[in-house]
Amino acid sequence: MNSDPIYRLLQKYWNCETSPKEEQQLRDYFLENDLPEELTHLKPLFTYVNEEQSAVPGSDFNARLKASIRASSRNRRYITIRVFTPMLRVAVSLLLVVGLTLSIYFVSKQYNKPIFAETYHDPNAAIKDATYALMKISDALQASEEASLQTLHYIDELEIDWISLDSLRETRTNEPNGDTVPDTDGGVIEKEFQQEDNK
Amino acid sequence: MKRVFLILLSFAFPFAMFPGDFVNRFIEKYSENERPLTNVNIGKTMLDRMTENTNDEELKNAFKELKSIRMVSSEDEEDSRYYYHKAHELVKEAFSEYEEMVSVNESNSKISVFMKRESDEQQDLILITIDNSDGFSLITVSGKIDFDSISKLSKSLKSEAGINSMGFN
Repeated sequence: MNSDPIYRLLQKYWNCETSPKEEQQLRDYFLENDLPEELTHLKPLFTYVNEEQSAVPGSDFNARLKASIRASSRNRRYITIRVFTPMLRVAVSLLLVVGLTLSIYFVSKQYNKPIFAETYHDPNAAIKDATYALMKISDALQASEEASLQTLHYIDELEIDWISLDSLRETRTNEPNGDTVPDTDGGVIEKEFQQEDNK
Repeated sequence: MKRVFLILLSFAFPFAMFPGDFVNRFIEKYSENERPLTNVNIGKTMLDRMTENTNDEELKNAFKELKSIRMVSSEDEEDSRYYYHKAHELVKEAFSEYEEMVSVNESNSKISVFMKRESDEQQDLILITIDNSDGFSLITVSGKIDFDSISKLSKSLKSEAGINSMGFN
């Protein structure tokens, strides 16, 4: 091939104006060995595509393919885990809640511990106030007990007829549809007294 | 930003939820310079030393399982009434988990005892009292409270001529 058209084609190539056919012509040209010296540096550029097109699978192609398939199956396993992601989120949330609750519990226990400065350094001086405090508590409990007893005495002094009240309750449970009118105008009590009078 | 706020809120929540020590809260919230209070604190170390130092068995039993005794008092009549009501307010506001054990309302004295039982080994008691002679007293006791021993202690102290006659070393 004459060099002049090649130079024209090259010019078009650098201007990105060549057609695929013209580019093929350029590649064919650069496969020749008797290139002008000023064009030899371009040979690798145009022979590269031909070399790559002639590439064939290597001897380890099958092994690499199988490894790739195994890797893709591993990816599939990973996808299986991703299916459970919502459950994992729930588990992590629960773990966080439990952890936070426990930390709150321990922090609050620590926080609730009374922090104060000791008033006394001498136990003999402290014992007076400590005893006073416990005596106050004891007095409070005794006062409560006495108040309860007084209330019981007061109720006792009212002389309530507990037996009548008990029998009244029995009458109400035994005669639910009887003549008794439990709660409107005191009819129940009147009837009970009438019964006692008749006896 | 919203997440950061929620995280900070969740950390602040327990501190808002758990009110802390009653006496500390009471002093922080209600003590005033014009209404002076007397405060006595006896901790576990001192209670242990007191238990070792006394020969009185009733006292030993009463003190040995306790962790702290704290007292706040006022003798002024008007201040006593003020602090008595404030102490009750605080129980209602921040210590509602305490159960009211005793409530005595007499003409010359008022007594309220509140208690929280966390376990067999840990009980917290708050006594709020006001009377004509001693004024206002707020007492908190923490630890294993042996009411039987406390009751016996009171009887033994009353039977003797006061605490000065007790058998301290």
